[in-house]
Amino acid sequence: MPEWLVNLLDRLNSTFIVDGRWQWFVSGLGYTLLITLFAVILGFVIGVLMALMRLSKSKILKAISGTYIDVIRGTPTMVQLLIINYIIFASANIPAWIVGSIAFGINSGAYIAEIVRGGILSVNIGQTEAGRSLGMTPKQTMISIVMPQAMKNILPALGNEFVVLIKETAVVGMVSNIDLVGAARKVQSLTYDYLIPLLSIAVIYYVVIKIISTFLSKLEKGMRKADKR
Amino acid sequence: MIQVKGLKKHFGDLEVLKGIDQHIKPGEKVVVIGPSGSGKSTFLRCLNLLEVPTEGEILIEGESITAPKTNVNKIREKMGMVFQQFNLFPHLTVLDNITLAPVKVKKMPKADAEKLARELLEKVGLADKAESYPAQLSGGQQQRIAIARALAMQPDIMLFDEPTSALDPEMVGEVLNVMKDLANAGMTMVVVTHEMGFAREVGSRVLFMDGGYVVEEGTPDEVFNNPQNARTKEFLSKIL
Repeated sequence: MPEWLVNLLDRLNSTFIVDGRWQWFVSGLGYTLLITLFAVILGFVIGVLMALMRLSKSKILKAISGTYIDVIRGTPTMVQLLIINYIIFASANIPAWIVGSIAFGINSGAYIAEIVRGGILSVNIGQTEAGRSLGMTPKQTMISIVMPQAMKNILPALGNEFVVLIKETAVVGMVSNIDLVGAARKVQSLTYDYLIPLLSIAVIYYVVIKIISTFLSKLEKGMRKADKR
Repeated sequence: MIQVKGLKKHFGDLEVLKGIDQHIKPGEKVVVIGPSGSGKSTFLRCLNLLEVPTEGEILIEGESITAPKTNVNKIREKMGMVFQQFNLFPHLTVLDNITLAPVKVKKMPKADAEKLARELLEKVGLADKAESYPAQLSGGQQQRIAIARALAMQPDIMLFDEPTSALDPEMVGEVLNVMKDLANAGMTMVVVTHEMGFAREVGSRVLFMDGGYVVEEGTPDEVFNNPQNARTKEFLSKIL
């Protein structure tokens, strides 16, 4: 065996096999996906709320959601995460993945708000008028008529946001070592090998994102086909 | 039944309605005609507050709907509206389109609402389309469903905003027939239309609007055969 191959196998061994370190990567990926999933769910709830506030007639509600969206989009995600981790939850004993989920939920809420707002505005005003002319309240009209139609435009964009968040949540590794980046850093600190762990998580991120985005685009195509019934 | 006093509507600087006084009695079929931009649709839309009047007062069954504390939703339950673009709910089946408002607004039991919906579908000749989606239906069918949907709230008044203008010519008749049946059944109707045949046959009173005013009104016979106003004459000479 050539020497470089021996060397490579040795480094792979110390990255993945020794002490069952591959389990760190598996659990890191699990946490990355968990944080992303909760962030999208929280972000969706915040996003719908903010979008409705922004579309409401109340000047105060409009100002609140406008400011929220403006501030979140105008500051780095990294800084938001650091503030939430080291200032807001500094003294609270909350698991790192929950802190990460909350930080990214708040962050993506601002982006999802714009997605939801666009989705709602894309529904023809005639739909609202038809609902209101039947005696339905604005709330009933929104829930039964506008939102279901808006979701068709929102869902694909939400899937996209999920994929973006998988990548973005990599900065969680800066405040804790539970996610994929965290797994690589744990290994690094033991083996002093940067190349293999970092390349490995790059490959893992790439493959996972490829799988999820292929699945999402299939889903979207299916939805569009169902539209033509 | 409907009293309109000094109704004015501005869109920014644009004055669309410049002062309209009307009294529509129960059972009347009022047909509103006039050139485009004359304010016909705006007038109709003011009657159920889809447009909020800038000035003036509207009373429905003696109740002021322009007063600040009015429950708009309650008023709208009494008034069905049919739109030029149908505005059926594309994500719901025909049956769900019709039962949605009775169930949500009137809290009618689902089974009763479905029974009512099927009766109405029978009435508009589309009993076999209950499970279809709007996109599977022709324009004429969609508009008949839209009429059934409005009737499901059992309104006292029906408003029609150019109900046949978006239809292919061969489908106009089927919609007008449903409207005629409704008229014969005694419904109070306000119809904005370009269908002069319908206006003549069904209308109990014709309003000719131009430039934000009702410039002439009378029975179809008076307005069509013996118009007094120069603008009415000009309009009719162009379209008849």
